[in-house]
Amino acid sequence: MALVKVDNLSRTFVTRGAETRVFSDVSFELETGELLLITGRSGAGKSTLLGILSGLDRASGGRVFFQDVELTALPLNELADLRAGRIGMIFQNFNLIPTWTASENVEAVLMHQGISKADRQARAAALLTDLGLGERLHHLPSELSVGQQQRVAVARTLVNEPVLILADEPTGDVDSETAAEITSLLMPRIRSGKTAMIVASHGLFDASLATRVACLKDGRLVMA
Amino acid sequence: MLTGDVMTCALRELKQNPRRTLAVVSGYAITVAFLLVIAAVLLYSRVVQNITIGEAGTYFATWLPACGDIASLSEEDLAKLARGIVPEVCKSNCENCTGCNKKPIDLLNEGFIINTNTTRLLTVELAKKIGHLPTVRDASACLMFRFRDPEKSFVFAVAGLQPGSRAVSSTCCAADDLVAGDFAGGFTPGRMLVDAGFAMNHGLKPGMQFSIAGEQFTVAGTVNTMARTVKADVFMLFSEAERLINRRIHNPLAGEANIILIESRDAASHGQALKDVKVLMKGDSLLTSGCYYPAAKAAGLNTRLVHAFMLLVALATVLFSARIQWASVLERRRTIAILKAIGWKNQVVIQQLFVESLLQSLAGSLAGAVVGAALLLLLPVNALLGIDATMTGILDPVLFLLVLAFAVGSGCLTGLLPVIAVIRQRPVEALRRLPAS
Repeated sequence: MALVKVDNLSRTFVTRGAETRVFSDVSFELETGELLLITGRSGAGKSTLLGILSGLDRASGGRVFFQDVELTALPLNELADLRAGRIGMIFQNFNLIPTWTASENVEAVLMHQGISKADRQARAAALLTDLGLGERLHHLPSELSVGQQQRVAVARTLVNEPVLILADEPTGDVDSETAAEITSLLMPRIRSGKTAMIVASHGLFDASLATRVACLKDGRLVMA
Repeated sequence: MLTGDVMTCALRELKQNPRRTLAVVSGYAITVAFLLVIAAVLLYSRVVQNITIGEAGTYFATWLPACGDIASLSEEDLAKLARGIVPEVCKSNCENCTGCNKKPIDLLNEGFIINTNTTRLLTVELAKKIGHLPTVRDASACLMFRFRDPEKSFVFAVAGLQPGSRAVSSTCCAADDLVAGDFAGGFTPGRMLVDAGFAMNHGLKPGMQFSIAGEQFTVAGTVNTMARTVKADVFMLFSEAERLINRRIHNPLAGEANIILIESRDAASHGQALKDVKVLMKGDSLLTSGCYYPAAKAAGLNTRLVHAFMLLVALATVLFSARIQWASVLERRRTIAILKAIGWKNQVVIQQLFVESLLQSLAGSLAGAVVGAALLLLLPVNALLGIDATMTGILDPVLFLLVLAFAVGSGCLTGLLPVIAVIRQRPVEALRRLPAS
């Protein structure tokens, strides 16, 4: 059973009456322990594809199955449940909440799930400490370096131990050293076989780490 | 269901954005204080004005005009009258009259009057019935008789009153009218009050004696009753006047009066009171009334204006709180999009924003209520409104509760409008288009 199965997925935008096709007939499968790198130029539709896979965006056609459940047919609340538990997202510009501390940003994923405050704090602190931010738990994002902010974003993604990580340009806005640091944090989870990851990048992610590489070009996903 | 996490997040959000929280709370505080002060002053001024206007001209007197030209009666009818028998020609006019057998001895110079008009008699019981009408606040029987001084031959009017009645105070003679002497003392046996003009004409002062129908009365005080509905030269107890009048008529009075002094419930019901009294009086009764209509109209206009202004202020409050909430929520569209992207459900976001709105509007409204109350206590409201400084009651707790409930309620409701707009926005769009702060 594939962890993710994408079947003839398409996305079209209608702007001022004009229809713009982003991509169509996108199909692939992903197993646990795999890292799929999707490359393509800016505007090719990589972020849109990740948005649909995370349930944040709706497909125009086709279907997505996640652990044999048709994700594209789920209501908003169940999609939110998936993102809060089994699917983690890493955004290009981190998307940390600026007025919340590092610990609070990580805890945010665990809130409203019946987990006690003490437990949430303990889990967030342990993970952040693992990622080298033990001294920065109560710092606001603005008080952290770019690399530290990205580590907080990674911690927020990993705190629920998701089975699928969707990363949109995770190394796009950081220097090569920070990029290496981030990949070194994520790769052990994938290699352990508990998690799969789809990375969307226009070339800054180290392709040698990927199990498979696909290119989104002219609205089609071509497996390398 | 509202969870502890929602409250925790809401409180943290408010605490971690002190400037925004302070701006929203102080916005509510200013609005509520303003609304409260405006509402309290307007309502207070309305109450005060309505009391003042409502009492100006809401009083009148009713009476039955005299039988007409007695000289036109035949010798036989006049003889009947003197014996207390009502002539046939008079009966149709006398449904409520009891006085045909109580004509004055000096028919040409003396008689029952109201101001310059001669009257018939009524029962005191009728005054009580009028007093029970729903449109009437108070009614009081009055005797007014024109006496002739046998020595100097001048005539003067004596009013017999029931002191303590509101109707007496508003239509005839009130303690405020006292010029000199003792007002209450004028309504004790053997004593009387005299009109200031009458006193001047006849050289009367408090403590002096004055003879009426052969009895000596002591002047207790002088009064100036100005433009009251019922004017007399001398004022005394009803029972004293009754006793004096009995000396000057053919048969003694028995529970009778010739004028009923009336005060309507208020200016608004004054017109109806006039009609009700007219119905009860039957026959050809007459009303002597103050100029009530402009007062009633002014009172009604004032009330409508106050309500209209209150509505405008309330509308402004709703719009202001909507503006505050709108700005507060739109500022956080990106944050909300992030939370939704990491798995927060719409209802959780709505609950948190609702709790934030509730806490902010509650805190702001309470602060506004305190500020409003302080302003109302510190402002010289009575002096600003130009009213009697002894009037109190501007701090109406019901008004405070209503304003608080209104402000908090509109804060919560208007807080939901932008939330709905934000919830409808797809997080993927918000994250793509809104700049990271």
